[in-house]
Amino acid sequence: MYEFDFAPLVRYWQPLMRGLGVTFQLAGICLAAGLTLGLAVGLMRYSRRRPLQWPAAAFIELFRNAPVLVQLVWFYYAFPILIGTTMSAFTAAVLALSLNTAAFSAELFRGGIQSISKGQWEAGRALGMTEATVMRRIVLPQAVKRMIPPLTNRAIELTKMTALASTIAVPELLYQGRAINAVTFRPIETYTVVALIYLVLLWAGTLVVDFLERRLREADA
Amino acid sequence: MIGPSPGGSLPRDRAGSAVVRLEKVHKRFGDLHVLRGIDLEVVAGETVVIIGASGSGKSTLLRCINYLEVPDAGRVFLDGRPVATRDGGVPSERELSHLRRHVGMVFQQFNLFPHMTAVQNVMEGPRSVLRMAQEEARELALRQLEKVGLLDKADQYPSRLSGGQQQRVAIARALAMEPLVMLFDEATSALDPELVGEVLLVMRDLSQAGMTMVVVTHEMGFASAAADRVVFIHEGQIHEQGTPDEVLRDPRQERTRAFLRGLEHI
Repeated sequence: MYEFDFAPLVRYWQPLMRGLGVTFQLAGICLAAGLTLGLAVGLMRYSRRRPLQWPAAAFIELFRNAPVLVQLVWFYYAFPILIGTTMSAFTAAVLALSLNTAAFSAELFRGGIQSISKGQWEAGRALGMTEATVMRRIVLPQAVKRMIPPLTNRAIELTKMTALASTIAVPELLYQGRAINAVTFRPIETYTVVALIYLVLLWAGTLVVDFLERRLREADA
Repeated sequence: MIGPSPGGSLPRDRAGSAVVRLEKVHKRFGDLHVLRGIDLEVVAGETVVIIGASGSGKSTLLRCINYLEVPDAGRVFLDGRPVATRDGGVPSERELSHLRRHVGMVFQQFNLFPHMTAVQNVMEGPRSVLRMAQEEARELALRQLEKVGLLDKADQYPSRLSGGQQQRVAIARALAMEPLVMLFDEATSALDPELVGEVLLVMRDLSQAGMTMVVVTHEMGFASAAADRVVFIHEGQIHEQGTPDEVLRDPRQERTRAFLRGLEHI
């Protein structure tokens, strides 16, 4: 019978928490950057102007159709050579994960915008609003509300994806777990704890968003 | 002239001058020639009711006035000033905004903004188009809601209101821009029968208060009670027009008679 021993892990709780901090940082930065860029790309994709549509479509297809791990490795090893510079692992991870999130959320934004009825546009226009004002004041607020569930999923996916950054030695939660395992030889305890931290983190996130969604729905029900 | 004054009010001395004028307006949707040379003049304070079978082009005519549909040919004048168009007859966004802030519109499906309360709906135009201050816009909005009898519903979201109440909020929303003319596009067609009356009552009050109105409707009772003029549209052309008595009681044209007979059987 295997004897569990969490004592070594307790000794290393500080690096583990530092790793969790890096995970938070990475997920937070990539979510903010990814959604902002995703909104811009989504609006371009939705635009009636061809010169805006095409680059947006190309961007989306590029980042949706390559494995995230490949994007991560590419940004760390290949991209710096291409542009003739060096880049920290963290920066490479931010680039790869943000752009990936942007590509996926761009399609979410476009879909959300398209789901708003033509009548809403006409009501805004009839008041004398410009297209941009209708988008900002009428369409986007409604679209974003409808997008909260899929955007939450995106945020959760992104948080999970940050674990991939351990492969390019970003000192996030999983990377720290591996480092601790290397000195304690306690894989069961170490990786179980790492997995549980991810689980609690993401589950708590889901609860918060469920709550927000319910609040929003009550507001206009 | 349309001045830069917010919304533009309705000066008394304008009575009798043309607020809206359509000149030989044509509209096609693909192969379908929906409007075939419409000439129409609506003078200040006048209520014009447009009737006709579905597909006759009456809604399209209304939507050409504020350029929700862009006419393929012909010209639209607001308050004596032609709507300036560029290539393909499309006005600039600035010109469109300028035109539309003076033309209120009420839709069949209400089209209230569901993420805003009643008073926020009414404030939205003055706020984001006329750049009115928050407090001023709210006061204005509450006055308009009072006008349509919904002051007590100011802080309700549209989903909590009946269809008739929603449509009255929509009327208040259009009125808050202090438009030169109000367009009603089958404003009561989507309502349950018992809710039609309250909306028509608001419309009749507006008409009596001197608002210039162009009303597309199937409510002949409203037409005979409130219209200064009834216009019958058939196959994209004005087939007959005159006072309600002339057109509704004693139409000259066979088509008009047939249309009115058809309504009686419903």
